[in-house]
Amino acid sequence: MIGQLALALALLLAVYSIGANLYGVTRSRPDLIASARHALWAMFAMVTVGIAALWTGLLTSDFSLEYVASYSSTTLPTAYKITALWGGQQGSLLFWTWLLSIFTAIVAFQNRRRNPGIAQWALIVMAGVACFFLSMLNFVTRPFEILATIPANGTDLNPLLQNYWMAIHPPSLYTGYVSATVPFAFGAAALITGRLDDSWIRTTRRWAIFSWFFLTLGNLFGARWAYEVLGWGGYWAWDPVENAAFMPWLVMTAYLHSVMIQERKDMLKVWNLVLIGMVFGLTLFGTFITRSGVISSVHSFTQSGLGPYFLGFLITVAVLYTTLLLSRLGRLRSTAQFESYLSREAAFLFNNLMLVGIAFAVFWGTLFPVLSEAVRGVKITVGPPFFNRVNAPLALALIFLMGVGPLIAWRRASASNLVRAFASPAIIGVIVGIAAFTLGMRQWYALSAFSLAAFVIATVVSEFRRGVAARGHMVDERPARALVNLVAKNNRRYGGYVIHVGVVLAFVGIVGSSFFKAEVKQSVKPGESFSIGPYTLTYIGVDGSETAHLETERARVEVSRDGRQIATLAPARLFYKAAQQPATEVAIRSTPSSDLYVVLAGVDNLTGLVTFQVFLTPLVFWIWAGGVVMALGTVMAMWPNVREREAIATALSGAAESIGSESARGSAAT
Amino acid sequence: MNRIRGSALTPAIAALVIFLGAAALASTNVLTTRQEVSEGLTCQCGCGLTVANCNHPNCIFAVPIRDKIDAMIAKGMSRVQIIAFYRAQYGEKILSAPTTEGFNLLAWTMPPFVLILGLGGVLLTIGRWRRTARMTETAAAVADASPGAAVTHDHDPALRRRFERDLKERL
Repeated sequence: MIGQLALALALLLAVYSIGANLYGVTRSRPDLIASARHALWAMFAMVTVGIAALWTGLLTSDFSLEYVASYSSTTLPTAYKITALWGGQQGSLLFWTWLLSIFTAIVAFQNRRRNPGIAQWALIVMAGVACFFLSMLNFVTRPFEILATIPANGTDLNPLLQNYWMAIHPPSLYTGYVSATVPFAFGAAALITGRLDDSWIRTTRRWAIFSWFFLTLGNLFGARWAYEVLGWGGYWAWDPVENAAFMPWLVMTAYLHSVMIQERKDMLKVWNLVLIGMVFGLTLFGTFITRSGVISSVHSFTQSGLGPYFLGFLITVAVLYTTLLLSRLGRLRSTAQFESYLSREAAFLFNNLMLVGIAFAVFWGTLFPVLSEAVRGVKITVGPPFFNRVNAPLALALIFLMGVGPLIAWRRASASNLVRAFASPAIIGVIVGIAAFTLGMRQWYALSAFSLAAFVIATVVSEFRRGVAARGHMVDERPARALVNLVAKNNRRYGGYVIHVGVVLAFVGIVGSSFFKAEVKQSVKPGESFSIGPYTLTYIGVDGSETAHLETERARVEVSRDGRQIATLAPARLFYKAAQQPATEVAIRSTPSSDLYVVLAGVDNLTGLVTFQVFLTPLVFWIWAGGVVMALGTVMAMWPNVREREAIATALSGAAESIGSESARGSAAT
Repeated sequence: MNRIRGSALTPAIAALVIFLGAAALASTNVLTTRQEVSEGLTCQCGCGLTVANCNHPNCIFAVPIRDKIDAMIAKGMSRVQIIAFYRAQYGEKILSAPTTEGFNLLAWTMPPFVLILGLGGVLLTIGRWRRTARMTETAAAVADASPGAAVTHDHDPALRRRFERDLKERL
């Protein structure tokens, strides 16, 4: 009851903040603008009360709440009672709204004195988005519905979601989705106010990187969850909901590259506004897909009747934003010029083309079943073969451009520039390709991919080497010191290069695991062995155990290589009692060269035969390692450098002084 | 020089397009393994995944089909033959990718069509911007050559100050 009341108040506060900000901005009333800001902070407090109420219901197993009865049980471990908040429709929507309220409150705080005019419009946009989500929670899908009859136990959280990756995958993805609202809101505010220089981009640069960072983590954590939980030896199935998370990542990546051109050359203003609009639209589209049931997906646990509302909101936002953009087209013309096809600007444009091209291919493939059903009455499936075939060549082109971008000159590259910059990386790429061929690799795609990966890594190393050499020459520093100072002074640039290395490592992992995977399915009795690749697996036996929450059958398998035992793996079959659902728990022995992935596929208690499905997947380790490198690179890129740290310190001391004087005024008034 | 670069770019782009097209076609030549065949079939248990990826340990559809695929491969049937066999049995709904005929052809042609359209747009835009740049360069050269033009772009003090500041900041 308290929770629903808090959400109703949050909606009222959001509506009030929009009205107060509108009136305050148009009539130059600072008191109303301040009041709108306070309303947004109060909105955050109210949504926090709402989410705390639902978490309390989950932790205390209050089955009078329909949500708790549907997504929890008395025996559900406490950690999963907390994560059950995003295990169902209403809870995940509430969590989304809570994140939005946090980011709105932060933006309101950050812009108390900065960006006058434009910040208020951005807050109006953000509050408008919050109004939509709060309306859903108040009128359409209420998280605090009370059951007429209280059940003795809940129906439990979906067993697939009872995994630690699900504890962090949805929050990461939602953080990425929701924080994309900030640059979108500032972009829309720039269009509304007509302040179309790059200040909105500079203001939201870190928000955009922050969003990209969490979208990256969200996608990787989701892939890792699929790898560990679904038990089919893969990590990406081109499921519509996976696609919905991948598309904003692609377009946000394009945006992060494209804004560099606007900041440096005052170009691509329209394109950047289009990209950020697309990112926001795709986050809504993703939510629409997840929750509408229009497209069948493995993520069907959050399906509901929310689809039409999201579609309506998406269309409204798209129409308003496009109208605004069209109305400002005349003022968005670039003043700068473009000198050559052989330039970094051109490489960035082609990079954007590839990223948006892949995003379109994914979008098209995701929606085609709906189109087919509408036109032919036949609902077909568009699955991995389509996406792999369409995107594989584009991915190669993108990796190639990733190598070209950092080394090619701005404005215009001469033939001698190109030879000087690319000769060594190209030779290294070719050598790697020849070496792989000599070692027996014959798949042309894998050969190209590994060659290009080597080329990109060589370009990054070359860029670091050149920077260090230049510093050493100019300021007479030793290489280690020069490297540290180089990165510290240009952390955004070199962080970006580290991200490139991470992407390439992940790409190598994807190619290796896709092309060279081996699979064996074998039924054995205790003491019997079978082989896959260089490994021999010996089945020892199976043990059963039972808790109040689940029954477990766990097999023990000894793994040996060249006659020497190197590991014991324990894959299991689980049965969740409250949910009355089976699940598998795979056992993985991961090394940089390959993963040995063992699934306990069946246990026949009558014959004593146990069936194992075993995958040997090369290089999959590098997908996760690439993710870690990408995360490190992003932190490097976001870390404030010396100049920014000084500016932040000045801003914070100013803020502290103003808060002190505001509270002094408040005390005097009371 | 620009003309030379432009004329070199056209065959380079054509080569890239051919390469990417060949890449798309070549990726259809896959080995007949159970994984490759079962990725071409959609599981009918309602999971929405392919027969290869269905995550139900005892799926009544995917598990027996995987075994049948093994048997068919052992008999020497190709991926295309096995998929055609199941298509005849279950209809188009069992395929995990659109066919390349009729309306379904649109699924395959639209992404490259949009990409080529985008490529054309990018090339046209760059071309237009380059023309503007050339006109500006010509105008600046005329202005520099005119009497009283004391400062050339190469010796613009503001540019030099910016260059020195950038160098100091970045190194």
